[in-house]
Amino acid sequence: MTLTFDRLRKQYGQVVAIDDVTASFAPGLIHGVIGPNGAGKSTLINMTAGSYSVSAGSIALDGKRLDTLKKYQIANSGVARTYQNIRLFDQMTVLENLEVCFYPADVGGTLKEVTWPPYAAARRERRREKCMETLRLFDLQGYAQAEAGSLPYGRQRMLEIARALVCDPRVLLLDEPAAGLNHHETAELTARLAAQRLPDRITIIVEHDMDLVMSLCDNIIVMHHGKLLFQGTPAEVQASPDVQLAYLGTANDIDDIRAAAQDRRAQLGIRARRRS
Amino acid sequence: MSVAETLAAAKPRSGRAISFLFFAIAIALIVATPFLPNYYVRVINSLLIYILLGIGLNIVIGYAGLLDLGFVAFYAVGAYSYALLASPQLDLHWPFLLILLVAACLGAVTGILLGIPVLRLRGDYLAIVTLGFGEIIRIIINNLDWLTGGPKGIARLDKASILGIQVARPIDFFWLLLITVLVVGTLVWRLERSILGKAWAAIREDQDAARGIGINTTNAKLAAFATSATIGSIAGAIFAASQRFVSPESFTLQESVLIVLMIVVGGIGNILGIVAGATILMLLPEVLREFAEWRILFLGLLMIFLIIVRPAGIVPRSFGPDKLIRRLFGK
Repeated sequence: MTLTFDRLRKQYGQVVAIDDVTASFAPGLIHGVIGPNGAGKSTLINMTAGSYSVSAGSIALDGKRLDTLKKYQIANSGVARTYQNIRLFDQMTVLENLEVCFYPADVGGTLKEVTWPPYAAARRERRREKCMETLRLFDLQGYAQAEAGSLPYGRQRMLEIARALVCDPRVLLLDEPAAGLNHHETAELTARLAAQRLPDRITIIVEHDMDLVMSLCDNIIVMHHGKLLFQGTPAEVQASPDVQLAYLGTANDIDDIRAAAQDRRAQLGIRARRRS
Repeated sequence: MSVAETLAAAKPRSGRAISFLFFAIAIALIVATPFLPNYYVRVINSLLIYILLGIGLNIVIGYAGLLDLGFVAFYAVGAYSYALLASPQLDLHWPFLLILLVAACLGAVTGILLGIPVLRLRGDYLAIVTLGFGEIIRIIINNLDWLTGGPKGIARLDKASILGIQVARPIDFFWLLLITVLVVGTLVWRLERSILGKAWAAIREDQDAARGIGINTTNAKLAAFATSATIGSIAGAIFAASQRFVSPESFTLQESVLIVLMIVVGGIGNILGIVAGATILMLLPEVLREFAEWRILFLGLLMIFLIIVRPAGIVPRSFGPDKLIRRLFGK
């Protein structure tokens, strides 16, 4: 079971955002996608999840084409995602944010849920149990009845990941999960994501926080100007002169990357505070 | 104990008292209705019809977050179903329950027919298109003289009877409407709490994220339009049977707007709120009857006052029927 990109391309008019990217992602691993701003990292995630259309090439999971499906069908094939700017169902409770993910599985029983109370109670109880279990994994059980929009920023990030995980996805796409988190929260996130490394799950993380990427990811893809520049283990990526040149320009210092990441965090942090 | 703590401690008790008060008034009203003069029974009947309409429209507006200004079209579909199938107009005299079933199905079909073209629209654009749809239905009815009698409407509708029991006096319709409101209200409330109801809420909050968790938003929205229209159409059929006369005048844009107002004033997305909103907007004009043309002004002032004081409506979304029941009978 693998996720594959075959000569994947995304074009906006004359601008080529993704340029013939071919890659495959094996299950059981956490894949990191890094690269300078505008390299096309988020575009990859958005195309995989069906948020953006594909200009040419294909995306397949187990040989089954994903790029021809609608967004909700892709989700129902087991692809779950989070967003660069958190997108929760703000006025619903934390618990409901997770419960609603069982819609594809349970919608067929709606009529019975409406007319037959014991069935509805059993269904609701089963959904609640699964959701609470996931919430506990992210230490959010105390917030279950709170409105999602009222949570602190860091908790909202965790909740969005919990929502992506509640239905046991085969592919988990995380778009800058550490953006706007402080050091402590990033460490917590790293630990929780490490615990979600299942043998049959493909996890792809787009992230600027190099500490997180280097410590968590097994395989790293480096994007540059929409092209796949390099693929390898964290150690190989750090040692690669190509990557250093692309990423850092002339300076060969990983500290610059860290500084860039810090900047990015600060930027998003400001936006986050304004939001809450 | 600080002031804040005292207030916090007192709140549930006063909430409970208010809940009890309103519950008692509702029960007293139901018990007293059979002894009221026909005029008042008719007022209460039209209140119940508006509650029914509000419950229907609230599915689209309150649950799925789609502003529909053409709801009255479905009300008209139901009313004209009864008028055509139980009157000398086409010389058809079908039984009431059968017509109710036909009206419900026709309502669902028109709901889906309206739903399909507006699926991609939201907010203001959706409001304008649905508004147009409501007007189109009214204008068609107004001009299809050979079928609908045009502006003259259709008169001498059959007296309704359910399984041999005649439903003709206002008080009969009171019981029919009360039962319908209770049954429909309960079902819709259960629908709100079902997985489909949750999906509607998700679509309301963030349609794109809803697709991202696997919700087929097309189907979910069409389900909302269909259920909502079905209820509107049922209300229309009962309305026609109780008036025994229909004309296009009953289905103007103003009616749609009035129902939207009831929802907004009462508490969007909450069945209890609709009951409150409909009661205020229906009974106030009656209470202010002596002031004649000043009524609209009073109504306007009240609206402004309510919107300032309670922007989320009289009964907020969070205070649903389950909370009320818990307040009344629970811990």
